[in-house]
Amino acid sequence: MQQTQPTPKKMKTIKVPRVVNGVETEVEIEVEDTGGAGPKWGPNEAHQILNKPLPRVDGPLKVTGTAKYTYDVRPKGMLFGRILTSPHAHAKVKSIDLSGAKAVKGAFAVEHALKQALHEGAPVAAVAAPTPELAEDALRAIKVEWEVLDHVVEAAAAMKPGAPKVFPDDEKAKIANNVRGAESRGEKDATTAALDKADVVVEAEYRTPMQHHVCLEPHGITVDYRGGDEATVYASTQGTHTIPGDAAKALGLGQSKVLSVVEHMGGGFGAKFGIGVEGQLACKLAKEAKAPVRMMLTRQNEFLFAGNRSGSWQKLKGGASKDGTLVALLATQYRLGGIGNGNQAGQPYIYTVATSARDVAAIHTNEDSSRAFRAPGHPQASYAIESLIDDLAHKLAMDPLEMRKKNLKDPVYHRQLDRGAKEIGWERRNKVAGQVASGAKGPVKRGIGCAVGQWGGGGSKQCVVTVNIARDGAVSVLCGSQDLGTGTRTYMRAIVAEELGLQIEQVNEELGRSNLGSANASGGSTTAASLAPAVKHAAYNARAKVVERVAPLLGAKPDEVTFAKGNVSGGGKSLGWKQACAALPSAGVSEKGEWQPDLAGRGVHGACFAEVEVDTETGHVKPIKMVHVQDVGLPLNRTAIESQINGGMIQSLGQALYEGRVMDAELGVMLNPNMEDYKIPGSLEMPEMVPIIDDADDRQVVIGVGEPALIPAVGALANAVFNAIGVRIHDLPITPDKVLMALQTQGSATKEGSQS
Amino acid sequence: MAADEQDEPAWGMSRRRFLKGVGVVGAGAAIADPDLLRAQDQPPASAAAQPAAATDGPTKITLAVNGQKIDLTAEPRVTLLSALRDYAEPAVTGPKLVCGMGTCGACTVLLDGKPVYSCLCLAADVQGKKIITAEGLGTPEKMNPVQEQFCEKDALMCGFCTPGFVTALSATVEKTPNATVDQIKQGCAGNFCRCGTYPRVFEAAVAAAKA
Repeated sequence: MQQTQPTPKKMKTIKVPRVVNGVETEVEIEVEDTGGAGPKWGPNEAHQILNKPLPRVDGPLKVTGTAKYTYDVRPKGMLFGRILTSPHAHAKVKSIDLSGAKAVKGAFAVEHALKQALHEGAPVAAVAAPTPELAEDALRAIKVEWEVLDHVVEAAAAMKPGAPKVFPDDEKAKIANNVRGAESRGEKDATTAALDKADVVVEAEYRTPMQHHVCLEPHGITVDYRGGDEATVYASTQGTHTIPGDAAKALGLGQSKVLSVVEHMGGGFGAKFGIGVEGQLACKLAKEAKAPVRMMLTRQNEFLFAGNRSGSWQKLKGGASKDGTLVALLATQYRLGGIGNGNQAGQPYIYTVATSARDVAAIHTNEDSSRAFRAPGHPQASYAIESLIDDLAHKLAMDPLEMRKKNLKDPVYHRQLDRGAKEIGWERRNKVAGQVASGAKGPVKRGIGCAVGQWGGGGSKQCVVTVNIARDGAVSVLCGSQDLGTGTRTYMRAIVAEELGLQIEQVNEELGRSNLGSANASGGSTTAASLAPAVKHAAYNARAKVVERVAPLLGAKPDEVTFAKGNVSGGGKSLGWKQACAALPSAGVSEKGEWQPDLAGRGVHGACFAEVEVDTETGHVKPIKMVHVQDVGLPLNRTAIESQINGGMIQSLGQALYEGRVMDAELGVMLNPNMEDYKIPGSLEMPEMVPIIDDADDRQVVIGVGEPALIPAVGALANAVFNAIGVRIHDLPITPDKVLMALQTQGSATKEGSQS
Repeated sequence: MAADEQDEPAWGMSRRRFLKGVGVVGAGAAIADPDLLRAQDQPPASAAAQPAAATDGPTKITLAVNGQKIDLTAEPRVTLLSALRDYAEPAVTGPKLVCGMGTCGACTVLLDGKPVYSCLCLAADVQGKKIITAEGLGTPEKMNPVQEQFCEKDALMCGFCTPGFVTALSATVEKTPNATVDQIKQGCAGNFCRCGTYPRVFEAAVAAAKA
């Protein structure tokens, strides 16, 4: 056999997202330049299974309560873990006495190496016991002596000279007055000059409180370790592969000896990567007890040390010319992420403004660290700029939708705004905010608002997928990725079924195990765009192997063989799937697939419209209808995508009207660390919801949709309230007290105005 | 004794009394499902319901779950939810622990046909009662109409709240044939979802109520 020198692969450089703990940045990587060879999705409308409404394959397990989540796993002899946390916002640990805990029957107790609690809820120690009740007893038996220090939980107070220092190593971390990373961008002088010349100017402050993830399944792991050199770790995580390394280190084992399992996962939204403090403590306890430990956070733990979407405090001064063109924007943007750095997209966000400048900084307080939360930093920036634009449009007596079009160059936004406007009935809005169309009287006023957003997303080279075809026709697709409820399992099957001309039921999938092939963690809406191309590639390779065997039987050339409706056909003949597979070698076919840059895309838009009713006597805001138009590239499963668009709108509805961390400044503690007082949207708040997939997107690439659907709804709702009552609420959530206060202020302002 | 305290059920803490004990209830606090409230305030239907023995140690408890007898040994302070999830062998994990305080409905079970929060019931107090969880309403092979429609209409995403919604709405649909959207909304007003499945939950349950 003649040896040929393999020709070196032609490479090209492309930009892909890199997601660290859910926050997206961009990196350049080298990929093979195939010159257009290899698998293609083809036109969206040509698919038999993809781009159709598909029921999710794990539905029957989930609706019957038989799906096993991490919280449901209970290995024999398992101990129940609990974590003791700081009751103080800021305090030094002087001593910990675990002896009382260890005296509880069958209980183990360990310290968390914490010298100083920087916020209420900081983990101090942990216990594990044979029953949840004994664990509770053990927890109460721990004695901690604290030296309570001064705290600060309000951003404005934290910035003042002489305020309590949030971090003990203040100077070392280059923090002055609890302000970190202060920097200025853009040309401030030019912007100020442009504002002076602008026809209209609006200056305002916008505040958003911390929002909590409230994943229904709390953070946590169940570590099945009984001594020895192996462990299985069940984790509620967004990254199956983020677990074994952390857990192995904590258990003192080799990484290859730890298997992580994420069969089903009860929500993450950006807060679940790695094993976390709770995982570290669980491993420590399991190591000491030589027994499995389940350590799931309590709901209070969730609120106090499992992260949040950073709050924001923005001061904007924007100017526009008479025709609605934005000419200048001066912004101060503070990120309020507790002891974390927070996230906030830079202003003027997605808008084109001739001159702009911004000062940005993180202000620290004695509160839990922010974490990534579905579109980190975007809704805060979006809410502020979208409010400002409506206020400018109001001053100019201009249609806010037209003003947006004027300042957005990308025609996709124009298309989506028109589509959404038609669906909501934009012409029904109050032409002048607060002036309800004639005929409508009484205390309840209706309003309509809109806003737009953007997201990067995209995929990268991280997934390895296997497609197996057995000689009896059984097909399976394997990858160590995870399904957060986004429908990963379903599209894995669907892509393979599409490629092989089968029904979705003829394919099985396996995921959520670290030994099933590498995969990226689910952050930044990068899962589908990373995984789907690799699944397609593996199916494409497996199909080629079937063709190799079957083409001679059919008497057809390999490129004539087609796969459709459960048949493999060519040369005028047709074989049923099982017959065709009988021709495979006894070991069947097992083919790998890798990420294909041409099958994944980046960059989506999104337009949201909201209609609300505001009761001007009670201040209550009732959402009536929400519409979101989203481009998604190739919709893998229309049903699941529409569900995710709904989900984005609903989480935004929470931010806009109901949700927020409430702090007691004196005590430094959170007043609503439970689901009774921290209000997420429920069935009685649901408006009519219309999720729209923008089918004019014909890029024929897969793009994630988790984050973009959440971004613009906050601004749309805030603008709808403004359109209804003609007064701007400058801090979220828009609760009845703020509405009444704003109406009263407006009333007295009008009176003063009329007197002058 | 104040008049409102006389309604106290003999067998467990009512949600109403529980709420009274929860300090801060903000203006935006969750609204309880009135049916659920009523259901939990009912005194035990069966006189045979055995009060827990006065003991602070583990005691023998027998539960009738999904048509099966489950024997376990647990302290009187163990909730029905914990008994099912943490003590029963094999574990019954359809009902989930999410809020632990009767707000979110993820732990909903049917107690003699009525939806209750199992995190607010003591296991020892519900002996002799018929307990049905999502697992008892149907199996993946043979789902009940609500479960079938949940799959059909995609009324679930992560699925952690789903057994609770399915259980509460199975009771609603049973009680209210041809239920309207508003009746369905009331039927699951004591349940929270975070992924945002509500619109399709309503569609699914309305469809199931027509079946």
